[in-house]
Amino acid sequence: MKRIHIEIALGTLFIIASSVILILMASEEPARLARYETQQLASQIEFGAAVYEVNCTSCHGSHAQGVPGKAPCLRCPDLFEGRIAEVGWQGSLEDYIVSVVTTGRQISTRPGLYQGEGQGPPVMPTWSDKFGGPLRDDQIRAVAAFIMNYEEWAANPEAVPTPLFVVDSNDPIALGRVAMVQYGCTGCHTIQGLSEAVTGPVMNGIATRAGTIAGYASAEDYIRASILNPNEYLVEGFNEGVMPQNFGEIIPAADLDNIVAYLLTLTDN
Amino acid sequence: MISSLRQRLSQIPRGAELRKRIFEMIDERVRIVTAGLSIKELRAVLRGDPPTEKPNPRYKVITTSFVAHLRPRYYPQGATWFTHTFRLGWFTTFFFVVELITGLVLMIYYIPFPDQAYGSILEIESNVFLGELFRDLHRLGAEAMVLFTWLHLFRTYFTGSYKGQRTFTWLTGVALLAITAWLSFTGYLLTWDQLGYWAITVGTSMTDSGPVVGPALNIIMRGAPDIGTGGLLRFYLNHVVLFPLIAILIISIHYYKVSREHGISMPAVIEEGEVSEDKKKEANRRIDLIPDLLTHEIFLVAVGILALLVIVYFDLFNSPLETPANPQVTPLDTKAPWYFWWLQGLLKIEPAKILENLLNPIVTRFGMAPLQLGLLLDSKFIMGLVVPPVVVGILFAIPYIDRTPARLARKRPFAIAWGILWIFIILALSYMGLPEFGIETPAATRVIQDLAPEEGLGILRETPYEELLPGIYTVGETSPEDLCAKDFAYTDHATGKQVIGCPHLVEVFEQYSSGLLAAEAEGKLPELHAILLIEDYGPDLRRVEMEVSWLDAESDEVKTYVKHYFLHRDRAREH
Ligand code: HEC
Ligand code: HEC
Ligand code: HEM
Repeated sequence: MKRIHIEIALGTLFIIASSVILILMASEEPARLARYETQQLASQIEFGAAVYEVNCTSCHGSHAQGVPGKAPCLRCPDLFEGRIAEVGWQGSLEDYIVSVVTTGRQISTRPGLYQGEGQGPPVMPTWSDKFGGPLRDDQIRAVAAFIMNYEEWAANPEAVPTPLFVVDSNDPIALGRVAMVQYGCTGCHTIQGLSEAVTGPVMNGIATRAGTIAGYASAEDYIRASILNPNEYLVEGFNEGVMPQNFGEIIPAADLDNIVAYLLTLTDN
Repeated sequence: MISSLRQRLSQIPRGAELRKRIFEMIDERVRIVTAGLSIKELRAVLRGDPPTEKPNPRYKVITTSFVAHLRPRYYPQGATWFTHTFRLGWFTTFFFVVELITGLVLMIYYIPFPDQAYGSILEIESNVFLGELFRDLHRLGAEAMVLFTWLHLFRTYFTGSYKGQRTFTWLTGVALLAITAWLSFTGYLLTWDQLGYWAITVGTSMTDSGPVVGPALNIIMRGAPDIGTGGLLRFYLNHVVLFPLIAILIISIHYYKVSREHGISMPAVIEEGEVSEDKKKEANRRIDLIPDLLTHEIFLVAVGILALLVIVYFDLFNSPLETPANPQVTPLDTKAPWYFWWLQGLLKIEPAKILENLLNPIVTRFGMAPLQLGLLLDSKFIMGLVVPPVVVGILFAIPYIDRTPARLARKRPFAIAWGILWIFIILALSYMGLPEFGIETPAATRVIQDLAPEEGLGILRETPYEELLPGIYTVGETSPEDLCAKDFAYTDHATGKQVIGCPHLVEVFEQYSSGLLAAEAEGKLPELHAILLIEDYGPDLRRVEMEVSWLDAESDEVKTYVKHYFLHRDRAREH
């Protein structure tokens, strides 16, 4: 056989092999496209979570659980079930989120409940870089995808795992720490290693400080009063009425005990 | 009227005469289409028979057809030796054609605006039938083209094929090297992800240090102080219009010189070596384009296509796509594509430092103050703007520097040694160009970056969601065996595989621990305290936090480095 014949034979074989590969690829393509789309949504949610963590936790809470008095929960049934009807939004919930985040909110639609940082308008700043905010369109889309991902939890609040991994349910101090996050305290108070916020006083050292305040029988007494009745004694440099007044109604007694127990361990500055 | 029509019809030949007339008509058409081959001749070509007419009609194709005009009529047998050219130039051309075809397909979907570019790439990957294939082929073809251009350059250098009348071919070749580099550079930006955006930002910033026109040049390239809409559009047009056209033009000139003017050079052994007359005669035997060379080329096309498809199909190559470009956040290891690592390595050299280290021991011995050359010799300027043009200048000048006619390797030992030296220099510079080389990253940052690099996957992101068990794990305290329960087992939702224990999580934690503990032992992280924390952050979404604190020796303060990752159940874990 001459070389040219070998080349023709091999070449034909190779072209057949290439065609087979192409056919295989084409037959797997619909599944690949679907898989890619799921994976793409997953990485968009991850990306959105990172955007959320950097920009939104100070008002909406470390785990989107909301901060009483400041900003609403973004993973709760309220948002997913009745919210767009309540505000008369025509489009989808995802579009509502994109639009609210893009423009921000000058004035609260629920002034009794959410006042942002409490310094007047806007209660939520504009986020889009088109209007002077820090976020690009793709970031806003991603953060919306991240919030939409909470739909499953909103539909089934019982299934939501405790926000922090603490598992020992017999330890009041550990449970108190979890409750601090759950009820949004960490949205206003700095606790080293747990949260950073400037709206309320730093909690580290509260256990020592509380014992020195005149008019209260004990440190525990003062802390309990500060939570249930914040205006009774005002910490210097902070205003009346910023810390929500209704924690007594929101927080069950057992959780309140845990919170107090936890705060009593914060002795060092 | 009717009668004249009848008359005409009666003139139409019938039977054998008709067949002959039809055949002649078709034959004439075939001759026009093939620019000279009759049907009979075509058949002879396909059967491998000798030409049927004289003069050889197969040569007529080449002299009369515009496109085929670029092709040679024949090459001497010696020039077609595989070991002479390795078909490197040929494959470079092949990959260029692959780029043109796949690029045209990608162009249909791509949108060259910053807020849509990345999305359009996602669209190609997730919504265009075989879109990923075309992206992979385009990317793979580009890298192959760059590689083969370099290999081809070294081949022509080592075989001494740039000498004498082929000087101009070499010059157009060097121009093609630059064009190829620019095509890949401009293409790199188009995905508009962190990878491309920052590689190009760093790349274009090289001109910044230039005198007078430097900053202006930078702005001309970027379209604004930072790459934005203008910059992207500019790169896009360079990539899809201007430079493909220039490349087609220069490749045509380059190839015309090779194919029609001088032919491919004979192997030096035939020209200068002591070989038998028989062998010389055989080497000078004509191998015609039609059918032999053409068959061979079709064969090579089949090889090339199969190789590309196999590489893509078996996932040996995947086009990267990072998170969208973010001008505010520079990734930790900005990585140029591998074919620019040599340049990145070059930029890490500081000539002022080297000279100071060399000269200062001598200078101080004479009682003078140590030299401070940093102000005089700006590294970025020298290594980024002076050295590369000088290298290109040397490349251009090679045929003029090396004027000896000898082509046989053994007769030009100096030139061969010089070529090998260059290969080593390029490899060494490329090695220095690796992000890890010569850049001191703080220990904690390095360890975490290796676990979950900002570009690419890393073993943390490869960990199946089921293994990311919520909890706090402390380095030095938590034993890897306690990361999951003794009887822990799960079915990986993505692969359907049954897995016993949590091997990935153990690997992550062990690499995290061993990296940090090693740094502690070296004294880089005294009083180390480090945790790995995993918690639920949403449905099918977990947050992984790595927090490392240590006592900083200089300030005597506790420093903390924290990094967060969000991992969704459905994320891609390979690629
Ligand atoms: C300065 C505090 C603040 C920050 C920071 C903030 N928000 Fe808000 N946000 C608010 C307040 C207050 C409201 C409620 C306004 C109202 O009820 O009209 C709100 C409402 C919303 C809503 C509509 C919820 C509903 O129930 O209608 C969404 C969605 C939202 N924010 C998302 C975000 C995202 C995403 C971020 C981060 C990029 C963010 N917010 C950052 C204060 C803030
Ligand atoms: C909207 C912001 C906000 C939220 C939410 C909030 N606080 Fe406060 N908190 C404040 C401000 C402001 C003060 C200081 C003014 C005052 O004493 O009332 C304060 C004061 C306190 C004090 C007294 C501090 C001291 O140094 O004496 C305690 C204790 C306290 N908060 C506990 C809590 C707990 C527990 C929660 C959650 C159940 C919580 N706070 C939620 C804003 C907030
Ligand atoms: C886009 C890039 C290039 C393409 C498409 C290309 C294409 C070709 C082709 C098809 C040949 C015929 C011989 C062979 O297949 O090896 C050739 C020969 C040649 N090329 Fe290139 N080339 C390119 C870049 C270069 C470069 C970078 C150089 C060197 C600086 C170069 C120098 C030469 C020389 C000197 C020859 C003649 C070789 C001989 O006669 O043996 N080319 N080129």
